[in-house]
Amino acid sequence: MSTAVGRLARTELKLTRRDPLVLTFVFAFPVVTMLIIGGAFGTKPDPAFDHVNPAHWYVASYLTVVIAATGLVMLPVHLASYRERGVLRRFAAAGFPRLSFATAQLIVGLVTIVAACGLLLAVAAPVYGLPPTHDWWRVATALALGAVAFVSLGVLLGSVLPSARSAQAVGLLIFFPSFLLGAGGPPPHVMGSAVRHVAAPLPLTLLTNAVREPWLGLGAATGSWAAVAALAVAAAVAAARRTAL
Amino acid sequence: MSDRGVVTVRGLRKTCGKRVVVDGVDLTVHPGEIVGLVGANGAGKTTTVECIQGLQDSALPDRLRVAEALDLFATSRAHDGGELLEQFGLAGRRRSVFSSLSGGESQRLFLVLALLNCPPLVILDELTQGLDPAARRNVWTAVRQLHDAGTTVLLVTHEMDEAEALCGRIVVMRAGRVLDAGRPADLVDRYARRATVRFSVPDPPAPLLAEIRRLDGVREVELTGARVTVRGDRRTITHVGAALVRWGSVPEDLSVHVPDLEEALLELLGQEPAPGAPIPVAHEVAGGRQ
Repeated sequence: MSTAVGRLARTELKLTRRDPLVLTFVFAFPVVTMLIIGGAFGTKPDPAFDHVNPAHWYVASYLTVVIAATGLVMLPVHLASYRERGVLRRFAAAGFPRLSFATAQLIVGLVTIVAACGLLLAVAAPVYGLPPTHDWWRVATALALGAVAFVSLGVLLGSVLPSARSAQAVGLLIFFPSFLLGAGGPPPHVMGSAVRHVAAPLPLTLLTNAVREPWLGLGAATGSWAAVAALAVAAAVAAARRTAL
Repeated sequence: MSDRGVVTVRGLRKTCGKRVVVDGVDLTVHPGEIVGLVGANGAGKTTTVECIQGLQDSALPDRLRVAEALDLFATSRAHDGGELLEQFGLAGRRRSVFSSLSGGESQRLFLVLALLNCPPLVILDELTQGLDPAARRNVWTAVRQLHDAGTTVLLVTHEMDEAEALCGRIVVMRAGRVLDAGRPADLVDRYARRATVRFSVPDPPAPLLAEIRRLDGVREVELTGARVTVRGDRRTITHVGAALVRWGSVPEDLSVHVPDLEEALLELLGQEPAPGAPIPVAHEVAGGRQ
């Protein structure tokens, strides 16, 4: 790839591999917490988990934790740091096309998500086993749309927040409540109704529903799937407009 | 020299709230020139080039290696990056990450990147700020190489020795306006024509001192013991030398001090315009003509 996008994406992927925040938060954190919480609830089907194996419930859920960590923590910090230090200005001055950086970040985010999800499944398979997928198409499209949505949100956050520190603060502030209420925390059935109402419309909750339910045979989650699709389109358009060099 | 500039700016004005930062700047940079934009802090130099290029302080990613930076910025018409790294003394740093480079190495890397794609114009802002003297000289050499390769350079600096060493033409700014412009030697002639000659003569004869006082261009003669200091304009140098030869005196400690660009520009920048008077018209800002 010798186009501007290709050169940027190739370089950014190399830099991503050297970034301790990415290695810790996107690759290690979801795997470690999935192992802990999956082990905590055991493998016996449970009514709190819609009568499915709790470990399988969390394996299906934690793919979206990877997506959220990439979109809400890795990318905003990375982009805000670039803008704060003048790296984006250098790219612009070097003549990289307007949308090349945003496009490269989209590629980098998606590749990172694929790699981190691969690692998560590779660790989960021998420990808890992978749950059979009831509706591959729904799961795959939900994951793809969710990845685009959260990567775009991350690019957008990174372009709005003034510094790497503020991006980290805001990113973590959004990530952890979303993580606990929408993907990696207790199942909705054990939450109080007020908390369930708060959790239901969160983007990560919608994405997790759109992935987990068709995967585990709990339903099509069409409403969640459509909401994630709409979010992906809106966030991608906003990110492209906002992050032109 | 072509009349068409690589950079042509007319009547540039930039405000920050109610404060006028750049006020009616005209500037032309011709192909192949190294033009220095000089002035005190807050003169509007950096704002002017930011308006020209839209580039403020910039950097590279901390973990980007030198060789990767070349791959990233090289287009299809790029030079051989390896040769450039050799030329600028960075070949041994090929695998080093940007954050580990010293200030001088970073500046040389930026120059390598600037040269990489054969750009017609490079704008360098406070290029050697914070560098040690050896590193500054290395960067100067690099800028000359850039110029020799055919690149036009617009150099923003408040280091007068740097401007004098590198620039063929200098544009002087104060308070957002161009005060004057010209070759460094011409600016020195224009604003600091004085010279000081010092020598020692045991028991200097009064007639010699009287003759020196009468010489063309001499403004002041000062005697401290055997030490004579003569101040005047540039003609003083030749006339004093000739007078000493006529008197059969060849002092071994004769020294001549001629102001450099820094002194000339201090003189120029120290001039307060009369209230309501226009700032002196630039001599060659618009077209690079004398």
